[in-house]
Amino acid sequence: MTVMTKMKAFATAAGFAATLMVGGASMASAEEVTLTMAVPDWPPTRIMKKFFDEQYKPKSGNTVKLDVDFIPWPDFYTRVNASLTSGEQKYNFIVSDSQWLGAFVEGGYFRKINDLLEADPDFMATFKSIHPNPLNAYSTYPHKSENYYGFPQFPDVLVNFARADILCHEEEQKNFQAKYGKKLPCTGEELDAMTWDDFRNVGEFFMRKKGDMLAGKPAEDDFYGIAYQAGKGYDFSSMQINGFIWQMGGNTWDETQAPKGQAEGVVNSPEAVKALEKYLDMIQFMPPVAKTGTMDIFKSDELFREGKVAMNIDWIGLGEASLDPKTSKVSDKLVFGQMPGTMGPDGKMIRWSNIGGQPFVLTTWTTDAQIKEAVEFVKWWLSPEIQHQFAAGGGQSAIKSVYEDPKYVTYRPWNRAWAPQLDWQKDVWHVPQFFELLTQQQDQFDLAITGKQDAKTTLDNIAKFQQNLLKEAGLIE
Amino acid sequence: MSNLSDLLEKLGLARKGGVDNAGWGRTLVVAIVSFIYFLPVLMIIFTAFKPQDAALSVPPTLSPTSLFGLIPDQYVFTPTLENFGSVFSRVMTAGGQPEPTGFDRFFFNSIVISSVSVLLALVIGTLASYGFSRYPLKGNDTYLFIILTTRMLPAIVVIIPVILMFRVVGLSGSYLGIIMLYTAFNLAFTIWMMKSFFDELSTDVEDAARIDGSSETKVFFKICLPQVVAGLAATFVFGLILTWNEFLFALLLTGVDTRTVPVAMNQAVSSGGRGTDWTLLASIETLFLIPVFLVTFFLQGHLLRGVTFGTVKR
Amino acid sequence: MTVRTSPTPISFFAPSADNWKLAIFVGVIATLLATLALPAAAAFWVVGVAAALIAAAFVVNAYRRRYYGGLLVAPAIAVLFVMNIFPLLWSLGLSFFAYQSNQQSIRFVGLQNYVKVLTNDLAAEANWYALINTAMFVVFTVSAQMIVGFLLAMLFAKQFPLRRYLLILVLTPMMLSVVASGVFFTYYYDPTFGILSYVMNNLTGQQFILMDNKVGAVAGIVFADAWMWSPFVMLLVLAGLVSVPKYLYEAAAIDRVSAWRQFWTITFPYIRGLLMLALLFRTIEAFKLADLVILLTKGGNDTMTISYHLIRIANEQNKTSEGAAISYVMLFMVIVLTNLYLYLANRRSQGT
Repeated sequence: MTVMTKMKAFATAAGFAATLMVGGASMASAEEVTLTMAVPDWPPTRIMKKFFDEQYKPKSGNTVKLDVDFIPWPDFYTRVNASLTSGEQKYNFIVSDSQWLGAFVEGGYFRKINDLLEADPDFMATFKSIHPNPLNAYSTYPHKSENYYGFPQFPDVLVNFARADILCHEEEQKNFQAKYGKKLPCTGEELDAMTWDDFRNVGEFFMRKKGDMLAGKPAEDDFYGIAYQAGKGYDFSSMQINGFIWQMGGNTWDETQAPKGQAEGVVNSPEAVKALEKYLDMIQFMPPVAKTGTMDIFKSDELFREGKVAMNIDWIGLGEASLDPKTSKVSDKLVFGQMPGTMGPDGKMIRWSNIGGQPFVLTTWTTDAQIKEAVEFVKWWLSPEIQHQFAAGGGQSAIKSVYEDPKYVTYRPWNRAWAPQLDWQKDVWHVPQFFELLTQQQDQFDLAITGKQDAKTTLDNIAKFQQNLLKEAGLIE
Repeated sequence: MSNLSDLLEKLGLARKGGVDNAGWGRTLVVAIVSFIYFLPVLMIIFTAFKPQDAALSVPPTLSPTSLFGLIPDQYVFTPTLENFGSVFSRVMTAGGQPEPTGFDRFFFNSIVISSVSVLLALVIGTLASYGFSRYPLKGNDTYLFIILTTRMLPAIVVIIPVILMFRVVGLSGSYLGIIMLYTAFNLAFTIWMMKSFFDELSTDVEDAARIDGSSETKVFFKICLPQVVAGLAATFVFGLILTWNEFLFALLLTGVDTRTVPVAMNQAVSSGGRGTDWTLLASIETLFLIPVFLVTFFLQGHLLRGVTFGTVKR
Repeated sequence: MTVRTSPTPISFFAPSADNWKLAIFVGVIATLLATLALPAAAAFWVVGVAAALIAAAFVVNAYRRRYYGGLLVAPAIAVLFVMNIFPLLWSLGLSFFAYQSNQQSIRFVGLQNYVKVLTNDLAAEANWYALINTAMFVVFTVSAQMIVGFLLAMLFAKQFPLRRYLLILVLTPMMLSVVASGVFFTYYYDPTFGILSYVMNNLTGQQFILMDNKVGAVAGIVFADAWMWSPFVMLLVLAGLVSVPKYLYEAAAIDRVSAWRQFWTITFPYIRGLLMLALLFRTIEAFKLADLVILLTKGGNDTMTISYHLIRIANEQNKTSEGAAISYVMLFMVIVLTNLYLYLANRRSQGT
């Protein structure tokens, strides 16, 4: 028996056995339905499970169990990817980064939900009450098409974490005014009004050596002005750089224009190069770890919580720890604002930013009985009442009626920056080639961040690679 | 007096004189080297006892005690046991109650899976290595080399077929599956290691026993095996250490109920919506270290006894 | 060596339990029929039963004819075949196809994947670059481990008070999980919080960043890896050292043989086999170095290794066939290298 036939027989056997097993399972459990779910292990998913266990009562009268596999974040993709691609068919629900949609839809693992939406007007209404930007990011493939897949689990945006105790200090205010002729931002509204140039000034202004005066006291340790993600891992620089590029009039490869949209000439446009240069220019005002290429979203957050920087741009998802006195040395001294923007020629602020957070999706092998319960569960999860509770427990909601409720901003201090920023969220690369695009881009950005390559060369390399890869894939003509 | 010296000797605190006894002078040198070598581990263990806000303090805190004023206060932290509690039960959601983390189960799984698979590999592997050593097959070296090649590729290469196979035969997420996999994972090393020990033995004694009418089974159990106890101990320890800390197979092939500690440990690397929870990671690692540490410590005597019968081939 | 009874030849068609030739014949026929006629899931089980039948015939045959070697080795081979060799063959097979694990199509392409990973101007460059880095890591980490491990073993070779307690301290690093030690090394090396930068800053008065250049990053990774695995080498060498009969040293002392000659003529022959084993296994492991790189640098500062590259290709990007081809190129190199070791080892042992 050759390896090839063996392999084929084996693969078919696997598929067949899988069908048998899943089929059998659904028949046996007409009364009791178990939904298995793969989720990253962190508070938003823990809350979901908690609410389900405590509050969820299925309308069908069936006993519904939510079997949640909490997988540590660093290995989440590896585990999910291996489970899906090996045909393990283990999970009914999967929490997925929005950019994984393309690969897993094309692989035949994620289930299209248009039929479910059309069959259930309630469900459709709930679904359409999600803000269009997160909806497009979390649910559509091809991006911005009418094919829907996911529901928001934890929607997320980048916000500005800032140290009120230092920013509002009288002396610092005075010195900053004297040096830059502008008021040092101190309140949430003032943070909202910041441009990247202001952000840079804050960075430059707050570079202090150990023993220098900082907010009226000698600094106990070296202090740095600013931080944002500039790490080589996963998407820990692209998510920030994309915002810079979009705000300053450049663009990333636009998948919605495929196959007409180009990478070469777009990705490395002069505007994009200028944006990247601006991004790189600020790294000098960050803690030294940025020079090693390991300043990821967690490191900058840690430095902020340890009181080493004045401002940090990071995901809301990491915010909870900075408010907890157990994990944060600055828990009572914080103010939050929108991520800085770029002043447009018309005097209006441009605030494009890359959306974060995760949707959860249904898998294709989920049986009809399970799907019925799953839809009920999703409707319940997205209902305003539960979404309010979720937000009160530290989650975020993309449901219009929820985040527009005046109560919403009282849940967490960063919530005031939530609704206005939703309108400015974009997303990239739902295509199956996502990981290749990302890896190469992160490698190139890392070279620029660690000072081995200038912005122009970096973007030229990225554009050339994307052009080749996407042409081969038929996504660029 | 002799009782005292016996006792000291038993405790390893003193040794009878002889050509190979280097005395306290050597102890001093080795103690300094060992301490320096151990420092990074010690820092992890200390971190397990640090209050959360001292984990990243600058300057780094280095000691739970000032050693009677020897260490300046800024390097001293106040030890706490709180972190060990939070390994097993802690608050998972903002404002929530402490919840069990399931780590008792993970520890249990790690112990069962590692010990069973390493023992199994030791039994199967020792038999095989004895076979390879005493009854060479045609193409013996080729077989041995093929066995070695199973260790040469990163686990990622074989993982997809294994997942598929497990799914088909229903081993996915079961103890049996991961134990079989780890057994195979340990075999290459066990066979090569034990074979080199068997090869070192002189066959004179065995042949003499055979001439006296001992059965092959008796030769193996009564003559060969006792001579390679050191090898068995070393192989067991190495196998245990490798299996104990194996990560990728465990991540992809265990279910919620059979998950092992190395997989769950990453909870602390990206912990609850932030980066590394240093004190939690350190306490998990410290607890996780104890079983292998003890096993190694108790097998150490065997590790160092060497080949006892003095029948080494020259 | 035992005396073997010469096997009596058995007729091919005799339905005897030890007739392995017939078993193979029946097994192959059954397999062929099953794969052609039956649904795949059933065929899978038929193939399994056929394989078991053949194996059983082999075992009975070996037992009846007193092939102890075969009998003793069989269980190990069986476990290895199912859990390791079969998956390896599978991925070897895949390396001749165009296949991505997240797509349904599969197509035979012969050697194209190998051509691509070795010569394609987009894909090959990264592979060669990662291979060269890997070679560098193998040389640095393995030699550091061999040297440090050997020196530590020499320290512990003699009896001295408290030896047990000191030895376990040195053995502890290899008991740590790689994740924990890797993550803690990022802390030790961290320019803001870490002890290394703290000490260096105070000594030089300047901000010290270890990992911002290639030399520092490689040194950081090599140090962490060598620190973890030198005890492995040490323990193996030590096992050899303690087995040297004392009378040899006593005789040498009477003959006033120099320490250097004592080492080469008495000690070294006893530890050579174990040193070789340590070298072999550490080299194999060093080729697979990925965890520490991922934790410490993510492959930045020119520290990409082939194993990490493979994880990216085969796992992250799901380019299964290309990954399989890379891994077999890698396997080929490891085999050449280890064979070279074994050849040299055998030649030397025959020479002495």
